[in-house]
Amino acid sequence: MTFRITMARAATALTLSLAAAVPALAVDFTVDLVNEPSSLDPHMQWNPDSYYVYRNIFDNLVTRDNDGKIVPQVAESWEQLSDTELQMTIREGITFHDGTPLTAKDVAFSVKRITDPELGSPQLGQFNSITDAVAKDDRTVVLTTASPYPVLLAQLVNLSIVPQHVVEEVGDEAFNEAPVGSGPYKFGSLRRGVEVILDVNPDYWGDKGPFEQVAFKAVPDASTRVANLRAGTADLVVSLDSDQVMQLQSASGVKVLSAPTERIGFMGLNTQRAPLDDPEMRKAVAMAIDREGIVAGILGGGEQVVDQMATPAHFGYIPDVAPIPYDPEAAREIVEAKGEAGQEPMVIKTAPVFDQRIVQALQQMLSEAGFNASIDMVDMATYLGDSRQEDRSKRPILGFGRWSCACQDVDGVIFPLLHSTSSWSRVDDPEIDALLEKARGTLDEDQRMDAYRQIQTRMEDQRYILPLYQAVALYGASDKLEWTPTANESLFLNRMTWSE
Amino acid sequence: MTLAATPHHVGSRIAKLYRIAGPFSLILLGLVLIAIFAPLIAPNDPNSQNLMGRLKAPGTEARGTLYLLGSDELGRDLLSRIIYGARVSLSVALLSVVLSGVVGTTLGMAAGYLRGWTETVIMRLVDIFLSIPAILLAIITVAVLGPGFVNVILVLALTRWPRYARVAYGQTLSVAGMPYVRLARAMGASWPRVLLRHILPNIIAAMAVIATLEFGLMVLFEAGLSFLGLGVQPPTPSWGATLSVGRNYVTSAWWIATFPGVCLFLLVLSVNLIGDRLSEYLNPKTR
Amino acid sequence: MQLFIVKRIGQALIALFGVMTLVFFIQRLTGDPTYLLVPENATQADIEAMRRTLGLDQPLLVQYGRFLWDMTHFDLGRSFVQNVKVTTIIASRLPYTLQLAGGALIVALVIGLPVGLILALGRRFAVTRVLMGLVLAAQSMPTFWSGIMMIMVFGVWLGWLPPSGAGSLQHLIMPSIALGLLSMATYARIARSAVLDELSKDYIRSARARGVGTGRLVTHHLLRNSVIPVISVTALEISQLLAGAVIVETVFAWPGLGQLTVEAIVSRDFVVVQGVVLLGAFVTIAVNFAADVLYTVVDPRIRLGGSRP
Repeated sequence: MTFRITMARAATALTLSLAAAVPALAVDFTVDLVNEPSSLDPHMQWNPDSYYVYRNIFDNLVTRDNDGKIVPQVAESWEQLSDTELQMTIREGITFHDGTPLTAKDVAFSVKRITDPELGSPQLGQFNSITDAVAKDDRTVVLTTASPYPVLLAQLVNLSIVPQHVVEEVGDEAFNEAPVGSGPYKFGSLRRGVEVILDVNPDYWGDKGPFEQVAFKAVPDASTRVANLRAGTADLVVSLDSDQVMQLQSASGVKVLSAPTERIGFMGLNTQRAPLDDPEMRKAVAMAIDREGIVAGILGGGEQVVDQMATPAHFGYIPDVAPIPYDPEAAREIVEAKGEAGQEPMVIKTAPVFDQRIVQALQQMLSEAGFNASIDMVDMATYLGDSRQEDRSKRPILGFGRWSCACQDVDGVIFPLLHSTSSWSRVDDPEIDALLEKARGTLDEDQRMDAYRQIQTRMEDQRYILPLYQAVALYGASDKLEWTPTANESLFLNRMTWSE
Repeated sequence: MTLAATPHHVGSRIAKLYRIAGPFSLILLGLVLIAIFAPLIAPNDPNSQNLMGRLKAPGTEARGTLYLLGSDELGRDLLSRIIYGARVSLSVALLSVVLSGVVGTTLGMAAGYLRGWTETVIMRLVDIFLSIPAILLAIITVAVLGPGFVNVILVLALTRWPRYARVAYGQTLSVAGMPYVRLARAMGASWPRVLLRHILPNIIAAMAVIATLEFGLMVLFEAGLSFLGLGVQPPTPSWGATLSVGRNYVTSAWWIATFPGVCLFLLVLSVNLIGDRLSEYLNPKTR
Repeated sequence: MQLFIVKRIGQALIALFGVMTLVFFIQRLTGDPTYLLVPENATQADIEAMRRTLGLDQPLLVQYGRFLWDMTHFDLGRSFVQNVKVTTIIASRLPYTLQLAGGALIVALVIGLPVGLILALGRRFAVTRVLMGLVLAAQSMPTFWSGIMMIMVFGVWLGWLPPSGAGSLQHLIMPSIALGLLSMATYARIARSAVLDELSKDYIRSARARGVGTGRLVTHHLLRNSVIPVISVTALEISQLLAGAVIVETVFAWPGLGQLTVEAIVSRDFVVVQGVVLLGAFVTIAVNFAADVLYTVVDPRIRLGGSRP
């Protein structure tokens, strides 16, 4: 122990003498991401490494509090003028980082910008139900949708407000490199591939950020992120699995933060392809999978088995659905009874980003139940190309996925996964299609719930998709950080506190 | 110059081989035997999972299975996976060395002997292949042909053949000028015959040295591909794949990375040492 | 001499063209970046729209023509993913790659060459065998394993060095060692055989006979004459270090070109891949050419125009 301290002192001295040559940046708080943000323009890329950063630079139209309730942010209040018109009142006293006030004009501009096909925003699909946005005066904006759209408000949680005058003056490209927002943090500097630095906005209208300066670094290797946290060169690290955080439990000065998310782990089945075009075979698949075993044996971080494609955090969650049975013997009997048809090869398509422990466990469980299952691991782009190809019947026969729409509404989960027109769907059932459209086309919550109940009944009968569990987001953090991670996996710095 | 001097009997030949290869060849031999007899030696099914027996320390028993070297992240017997993994690591390395060696040597000899257009085309192709990042070739091969054991070998061969081609080319240039080669040519021997009969025997020793050095590299490359998610398909046990998973457990379950890591290390080191001795033996100046 | 240079430049341009054409087409065999760019709930129409924005809806030959046209204007295009000029992205990564390659070369040379010399001069002693074994052992571990072990020991347990990242000299130490160890044995081997080569030559024997001391012999004759093989190996190493550091860069979160290449390939950011490959090919060709020229400087007996060794 003494030796270790002496060495540490010697090392500190060495570090200091070396550091004199290179001025080290004084950074209060360091977050290790996986990759560098692919854009800082909130209307461009929508991936965690990007939005973890830019959502601190910008304010959103509305937001969700820590309990998942939609609460005002830029919009102070709102009312539905008709089934297709939403009027929002903009909060007074918000200023952008360059000092100009945020007005309804900026809100209308932001909506127009992200829905403009010319911009080519990858998020277009989330917002293109909005057909018009008009600023009536400085504080009032009216959004119009093509048809009644119940998920509108939930989608607006993810709409960041950009300053019209800056974007128009500098152009989209320059804006991406030096974004100006109204959020609790200001863009500081960017060292490409290394880090993005944000500075606290001392004039923020709401809860101010607790750190003077924050660095978001790109650290692709999970083991390295864990090491950084343990060495104290990172204060918060993202994207760890249950076994990686195990390495933190025995270490001092660090802790694991976890939160149930709205992300659902599921097994997708191609119902258009033999042998899973047979509903009995799909039921056999469902019975072969020991979901409790996966949750308790592999994950063990507070994940919950789910029997529907929703979590309690979703609108459309049905509290009393029948559990999907686990019965490998019954599954084996079905497979054997099918003879040759039961032996059709079933390939689980996967990519390195998915938890390979689960994929391998699924393959093993299927094999033990007599299925002819194997794994086919390809890189992410190939995986997505296969999964979303035009010809639905060629999409992978089996796959493990984790889905979140970041909107906490069942529509955002099962519409893309089950509706026959979706690029993800491996299902073609007019009854399901009609129910999904019905639930999407009305603002009446009772009618929507009713449609989702009917879909659930149909699912129990047909087993189009196998829900596995509600995922938990795991973060490694310094002991000094106080923070409650939320279901929609956002990372708002101004909701954290730091105790020395 | 040649490896096989006329032996009196098999015993002395083996003794001579051992003298050249050195004591580390015993390690290599041991690993090869493990790979060949894997099904007989392995105490358990390498793919049989036990989700309640995950990450058990070496020597623990769970549900009637004794985990001599511990269990992995899915409760599989690490020892059995390492034993079966020897097959993957050794065969991938061996086959990719053979494939890239044969292709590279043939093209290199052709370029060095035929000269002219053949030379230009082959050697520029070599340049082109050397300038494309290996990782790009790897991902493309996996994307186009799909993943798997055979394609890993293809990836490795595709990225490594230019190295053999370069050496074979240089060696051929210097051998082609020798009087007996000229004589053979003057006597009307066809070029494939000259390459096979006169040039190949003279450059094979140099190629063998390259091949041994490459063998160790191929073992490491296969592991690297696994690390990048482009290796052999799970759940096939490979040392590289087990090792890259084990990195996540360095402090919580040290055995997962350590045992396959040590095996891989011993394999590569013994091959490298044999290669080093071989090159020393074949180089007249060092004898 | 001039003819040789013109011929070499001509061949280099053809090779460059070949590389770029190959990369252009094989990349597009691997699928489409659109799916990675659109969010999970995008519809088929959104996917089509995105494809149009990227210009990927055009026939392949039209895309290729456009690409060649842009190349002749030194326009490498804009990243699909980051919407930033490829030249900007590469320029920001290049300094880190040069630092790491330089660090690795120094490690390899500073350890490898003296070891090779010792191995040659002391080849009759058993100790040197052990030394060679150590050198070989250093390159017998996959870097993704030795890298994380280094991080755990020096970054976490001892706390001597920052575990990962870039920005200071300390950050450079571990990745340079991890990468340099791989080339070290090559240098040791080259130096050993070059020195042995020279030792067997007449002038050294006569110098020895005249009573020239070993130290003088080493500095005046041996080193100078071992430079050529070291140059050819270094030429090969440099082109490999540029893109070959993928794993070291990933493990140590080092923002070099290797990591960029993998990110770009995995996300099908075709234009970035093209840019990196172009740079790599250019450097490979230039370094080989420079090596050829260096030979003549080091040893005037070598004339340009002969075949390369």
